[in-house]
Amino acid sequence: MVKNKSKWKSAMLIVGFLAPALIVALGIVIYPIINTIIKSFQDPSTGAFTLENYSYLFTNKLARAHIWYTIWVTVLTVVLAIFFSYLLALYLRFSNSRIASVIRSLYLLPRFVPVLVAVYALKMVLSDSGLINRLSMLLPESWALHNFKPGLLYNAKGIILANLWFNIPFATMIISAALSGISSSIVESAQDVGAGKIRIFFKMILPLSISDVMIAATFVFMSNVSSFTTPYLIGANHPMMLGVYLRKQFSSRKYELAAAVSCLIFLFSSISAIVYIYTNLKEKAWERD
Amino acid sequence: MANAKLEIVNMTKLYNNGDGVKNINISVEEGELITLLGPSGCGKTTILRAIGGFNDIQSGDILIDGRSIINMAPEKRPTAMVFQSYNLWPHMSVYDNMEFGLKLRKVPKAERKQRITEMLELVKMPGVEKKYPGQMSGGQQQRIAIARSLLLRPEVLLLDEPFSALDAKIRQQMREELRKIQTDLNITVVFVTHDQEEAMALSDRVIVMNKGTIEQCGAPAEIYDRPVSRYVADFIGEMNFLQINGKTLAVRPEHVRVRKGTGGELDGFVRTVMMLGHYVEMTMDTDYGIVKTFISEEEAREYHKGDPVAMDFSKSFEY
Ligand SMILES: Nc1ncnc2c1ncn2[C@@H]1O[C@H](COP(=O)(O)OP(=O)(O)O)[C@@H](O)[C@H]1O
Ligand SMILES: [Mg+2]
Repeated sequence: MVKNKSKWKSAMLIVGFLAPALIVALGIVIYPIINTIIKSFQDPSTGAFTLENYSYLFTNKLARAHIWYTIWVTVLTVVLAIFFSYLLALYLRFSNSRIASVIRSLYLLPRFVPVLVAVYALKMVLSDSGLINRLSMLLPESWALHNFKPGLLYNAKGIILANLWFNIPFATMIISAALSGISSSIVESAQDVGAGKIRIFFKMILPLSISDVMIAATFVFMSNVSSFTTPYLIGANHPMMLGVYLRKQFSSRKYELAAAVSCLIFLFSSISAIVYIYTNLKEKAWERD
Repeated sequence: MANAKLEIVNMTKLYNNGDGVKNINISVEEGELITLLGPSGCGKTTILRAIGGFNDIQSGDILIDGRSIINMAPEKRPTAMVFQSYNLWPHMSVYDNMEFGLKLRKVPKAERKQRITEMLELVKMPGVEKKYPGQMSGGQQQRIAIARSLLLRPEVLLLDEPFSALDAKIRQQMREELRKIQTDLNITVVFVTHDQEEAMALSDRVIVMNKGTIEQCGAPAEIYDRPVSRYVADFIGEMNFLQINGKTLAVRPEHVRVRKGTGGELDGFVRTVMMLGHYVEMTMDTDYGIVKTFISEEEAREYHKGDPVAMDFSKSFEY
């Protein structure tokens, strides 16, 4: 009886300590999420339950184009970013050259440039009347490259290029950490028994780093599937990334549709979150006791 | 020597910072176990990595069976190296670890299995095929690493302090096993260690190294009985050093004979008497420094701190 009472007391104490954090979390995270989910199932005029918002997203030709566009821009960003990051990280891990050590101390710098600044800088260089174009104007008029227009802005190429600018340093950082955990004697003893470079990569380095590569990929996916600033500034009017589409619905006061779009983005993010958690939790066979 | 298995001729390997090894000449017979011995940083690993192909050398040559190997990549050399630690591939089971090199050599599957099973028996670890390196102790891992190298029947086996991370008792045991396997299979081994006891116990010949050069090379007994320099005398076994008239006299404790009183080659007074198990260590103060000797328990009863002692040396060195 007495024991029960003190237990109850300490439980109350814990709740008391946690209460402020819980209330803040409820207020600014959980409540809006629930609110958004509810709104996404509401009829704009009556407020009654409906699947109309979602069925619009999946049947309307324009909306579907935006969804597919978002998926393939994001997937392409992930694939390219991971590919280049892996190459860069391998180079940084296994090269002793001066260039490598310079890159090693500089490669994270793009991450420190604010998104807006970087995107505007990109615009100045890449736009059809930007720096590249003006340099090409200096070439003789008879040359094919005279008045060269890169044609990289207001389409997927520009968005992906900007995404790579931000995500390659980030993914390189994660993959580099994984590669630095692979001791040189692992690679050298593989060489010693007769394995060439390609076999060492596929049999040693890849299996020992793949889970970190997957984690980098999920992070790149999550931050790009919902991106707004970049596609808003240098993307096309059609098709749009979902982040831009969401804002457009919002400003034309279609709040229920906007809620459905954000739930969809949330769903995409959760899928990659699940991949992340699964990769993290999955016990590797060789780490089991 | 025409029939040397491994020959290193005038080899120099310097790193960019000026550290490294200079003018190294080593010749190893077939079936011989030779040890590179020296304190940490004297260049033992540098030589071993040069033989294995992991260090490019500036000058000199390395020959196996009379043929130069310095232009071969590590994966092409007929050597196998066991590193100080982290030898095994952590994501592969013991079986996969051992099979990897055999597969590269296109050994048929049935033969691979047979050879791996035999080798595991040889190193007294049968039945661990399915284990991963992380599930074994350090000693077991090094044993598998050696087994994995032996499996490929290298011309020369290179071992870089393979037992230094193990505790004393296991180290002792592994030494004996290695020596047995090495003589049974008649393989040529270059063994690296900083532990003089290990070097003396294990080797046919010992190469004592000092700051990137070879100080002395010879059979363990030869090095112990006739150290060519003060450095070797100091590094191998125990030695008393006495500064007499500008010369250094070196005497091993077991070559110091003591009796009570005065009138020996050197006289002194008892400083300490220390019981060390089945023998007693006694030190004496003399005009030229402290002298250490070993005596029996019965003898020790006669000596007390401050007693005068006369010493005679049955053998001594001068540097
Ligand atoms: N990769 C390297 N770059 C520069 N110096 C090195 C390198 N490896 C070893 N050294 C230096 O060379 C010397 C010999 O090293 P090493 O052969 O590893 O010694 P040991 O194995 O006898 O302890 C040391 O002074 C060490 O600091
Ligand atoms: Mg070493």
